[in-house]
Amino acid sequence: MIAKKVLLVGSFGVGKTSLIRRFVLNEFSEDYISTIGVRVSAKIMKIQEEEVKLLIWDIAGTYGEEKIPKSYFLGASAAMFVFDVSREETYLDIKNQLDAVKSISGLKNIMLVGNKKDLISDEKLAEIMKIIPISIDLMTSAKEDENVEDAFIKLTLQSLK
Amino acid sequence: MGKTATDFDKINRFELLKELLLAEDRNDLKLLSQEILEREKLKTKVSPIVDEKIEDLRENFPTYFGSTITETIKVQIKESQNEVVEALYPIMGKLVKKFIVAEITKLSENINQTINDKFSIKNIIKRRFKGKKSDAEGVFQEVFEPVIEEVFVIEENSGLLIGSYSKGNIADKDMVSGMLTAIKSFASDAFSKEGQHLENIRFETFQLSILNFKSIYIATATSGVVNNDFKEKLIDDLNSIAEIILRDRNYLKEEEKLNLLLKNTLTKENQKLNDCKKSIIGW
Repeated sequence: MIAKKVLLVGSFGVGKTSLIRRFVLNEFSEDYISTIGVRVSAKIMKIQEEEVKLLIWDIAGTYGEEKIPKSYFLGASAAMFVFDVSREETYLDIKNQLDAVKSISGLKNIMLVGNKKDLISDEKLAEIMKIIPISIDLMTSAKEDENVEDAFIKLTLQSLK
Repeated sequence: MGKTATDFDKINRFELLKELLLAEDRNDLKLLSQEILEREKLKTKVSPIVDEKIEDLRENFPTYFGSTITETIKVQIKESQNEVVEALYPIMGKLVKKFIVAEITKLSENINQTINDKFSIKNIIKRRFKGKKSDAEGVFQEVFEPVIEEVFVIEENSGLLIGSYSKGNIADKDMVSGMLTAIKSFASDAFSKEGQHLENIRFETFQLSILNFKSIYIATATSGVVNNDFKEKLIDDLNSIAEIILRDRNYLKEEEKLNLLLKNTLTKENQKLNDCKKSIIGW
């Protein structure tokens, strides 16, 4: 079985941890995030008849925003940038934030996911998609368990590329 | 002499007066006795039901009230923490004391046994010839024998586990490797100066030693008293392992191959160490 390190980044409170909680059962205490700024969870995925062990690094915030060691971003095979569709401040500067993560991690492509879609209407969602200058890979709701698994499948596929 | 008409009249009047005066009391008495009778009847009917309910309560008390009582106790403890601590402190103290006494007794028996063995004429003569290790060191090493519990070979940047040797039962080694790497990165970022790395973490009887290389690091968890000889030997072994795997990069891709190398090297070295120890003791 191959193992891949993947990152979950995004501003504070966008629901990264909730997405993981919905997706992974086997995890360390959430206290680690507030202590050292990261928490590692593991999940085995079966993709195209191949088993992949996903080591998900849930990083508190994005580099530059908070004091996060640069090394947390190193050696990752894929990353998912999460923003909160109900909070403008989490996606207004998204391009710069994504560029920062790309430059530290060395990753060329970063998956973009808008979480908490259950909090806004479809019209508002369409509006947000127009405002954000980068194409959004998926809109999720950790609360309603919508598209969570799909997001991680996509992340796994990206880590295998 | 027979009663006269006047006498009868008196008696009748007296009876009449009695009727008039006691009528209310008699009525009350009647009601009271009725009530008592009804109670008796009710008692006979209700008693078995009450008994049954009491028995049910006795048997199922924890089910009915367990959670309420636990919650009440929790609230009570929370609200009167100081009182609880004060009440428990002497009991805890006694328990801790008892435990320490038991452990010290065990330890002293162990030390006595080792000292007796070490200072037997046979061993004294043997030490005269072999020398090197001090008596205290020898006794300590035997009482608290160092044991390699876990060895993780981890990729430096990603924190991915490349290979491992384990005596224990760690639930998810990959996750542990990831978190260990995160802690290492955090420590480096928070405290270190350029080029310095986290090398040791101690937790109670365990010691976690980290040997850093460029692209990998090897974390070793040991228990017992780690003396200099053991430490040097272990570092030599780990350096040899690192040399092998960094020269032949296939080890980094094939976990099983690396696990086998770790097992063979570490158990062989352990075996050698044990054999050596046995031969010294049994000389």
